[in-house]
Amino acid sequence: MTSTIEVTNLSKNFGKVNAVNDVSFTVEENKIYGLLGRNGAGKTTLMQLLTGQEFASSGTISLFGQTPVENAKVLQNTCFIKESQRYPEDFRPKDVFKTAPWFFANWDQDFADRLIADFRLPVDRRIKKLSRGQLSSIGVIVGLASRAPLTFFDEPYLGLDAVARQIFYDRLLEDYAAHPRTVILSTHLIDEVSNLLEHVLVIDEGKLLINEDAETLRNRATNVVGMKTAVETFIGNREVLHRDGIGGLSSVTVAGLSESERRDAHSAGLELSPVSLQQLIIQLTRTETKEFEASA
Amino acid sequence: MTTTTTALAHPASPIKRITSVAKLHFANPWTTLGLPWIILGVIFVGMLTIWWLIYSAIDPADRAGALEGTQFSGSSFFIYIYMMVVAIQAISITFPFALGYGVTRRDYYLGSALAFVVLAVIYTAGLTLISAAETMTDGWGMGVTIFAPVYFGAGIAERIFVQLVAFLFFLFFGSAIAAVWVRWKATGVTMFFIVVAALLVGLIALATFTDSWSAVGATLVDLGVLGVAAWSLVLTAISAVAGFTLLRRATPRNAA
Repeated sequence: MTSTIEVTNLSKNFGKVNAVNDVSFTVEENKIYGLLGRNGAGKTTLMQLLTGQEFASSGTISLFGQTPVENAKVLQNTCFIKESQRYPEDFRPKDVFKTAPWFFANWDQDFADRLIADFRLPVDRRIKKLSRGQLSSIGVIVGLASRAPLTFFDEPYLGLDAVARQIFYDRLLEDYAAHPRTVILSTHLIDEVSNLLEHVLVIDEGKLLINEDAETLRNRATNVVGMKTAVETFIGNREVLHRDGIGGLSSVTVAGLSESERRDAHSAGLELSPVSLQQLIIQLTRTETKEFEASA
Repeated sequence: MTTTTTALAHPASPIKRITSVAKLHFANPWTTLGLPWIILGVIFVGMLTIWWLIYSAIDPADRAGALEGTQFSGSSFFIYIYMMVVAIQAISITFPFALGYGVTRRDYYLGSALAFVVLAVIYTAGLTLISAAETMTDGWGMGVTIFAPVYFGAGIAERIFVQLVAFLFFLFFGSAIAAVWVRWKATGVTMFFIVVAALLVGLIALATFTDSWSAVGATLVDLGVLGVAAWSLVLTAISAVAGFTLLRRATPRNAA
């Protein structure tokens, strides 16, 4: 498996703030990555570093084997759609779609036209008269139709309704299947995209907390539900990620279980259910959050 | 190091990358090409009306003398300042946009510079045509001057040179201001103007204390319109280099 991005000990400081703090990871070619984390966790800064828009304080970044900073050979293979991406005010959406092919060698106009129809985007209206959702759909269309070998979507759907978001997910998957490429998607809406993601990077307070295959991550924890005494006996000294209870009932999230442990749980009359990616990430990041809030 | 080339786009030539950025500034020509001519047209009609009123009110015997003063008209000056604004707007708006398209800062600046040179040529050509019409119609039939004031020199060749150089100066000075804006926002621009004002005041003080105003005046007269215009190219070049240097380290931010 070849890697598209290799990041080593990357840090970015703004004054005393460590927006990105000693992060290392690799991104494999032709996979969909989720870059998840809370507001201000450092997701946008990380993506700006990867696309050469921001300059690293220390550490190295390699895209397609080279540094991205001011490197046209690398950057012309990237497309970075930002949350609240700004467009020239006097532009109309059709001006955006007219100019995009000048910069993206793989641009597919037919695909763009289909997406414009899907999102019902008025192409003749001036940018400043568009709604937030319509603005977001421009970015989504450019990001998809550009077919850049490395595409970054940073919270691309501010203001998009549920139907439009579903269209985005569907088109992304369809087009990705036909034209494999590396996609890095940053979002808060973890559950909506969890089926899309093949690999998950979770960043908090500038640090990389989780860097794991999505499937492995999903199996990393299980909800155990049942009578309080039975649950307590079953979990024993196991690592508990989360604990809930009403009356005599108890629901506990524990780290991944083996097949035999699952059988034990069933025979003890306990119910097992998968933990959603969102729940899991909330639980895995919560401890860090508490420490942060205590120190703040 | 493992790399992949299979899905990579065939590298575009530097020329194509730079011209693509230049074209970006003309993708919607309203701000760069539409609005300035419309405003210029409105000013032209307004000036013509005023001159016509004066023309009609003055005794025919005194007309030549009264309207001779219009050769010092400044009505077409606005276009130069407006070009500076165009440069500032163009860069501050398209810079974050182009970088999202995977354009390097270097290609972005060179492409924008190319667009500015094209703009300077277009506007010089336009103003030359209009001022030629003004001369041919003998000052729009009234002996007035709107587009060929004395500041731009005598004769078409001289005027073309002076106007082209003036457009270049204002566009590139604008690009330097825009680079300061993109990099440090309002604080930076405020500081920039404080520094420029301090430099100007410093130069004035220098001339005053060394009692050399007459020498400055004599030098300017010696240089003539052409000489001053030619020397402005130095400032234009400084602005261009400053704009490029500042933009090379700038980061696009969402906050306006």
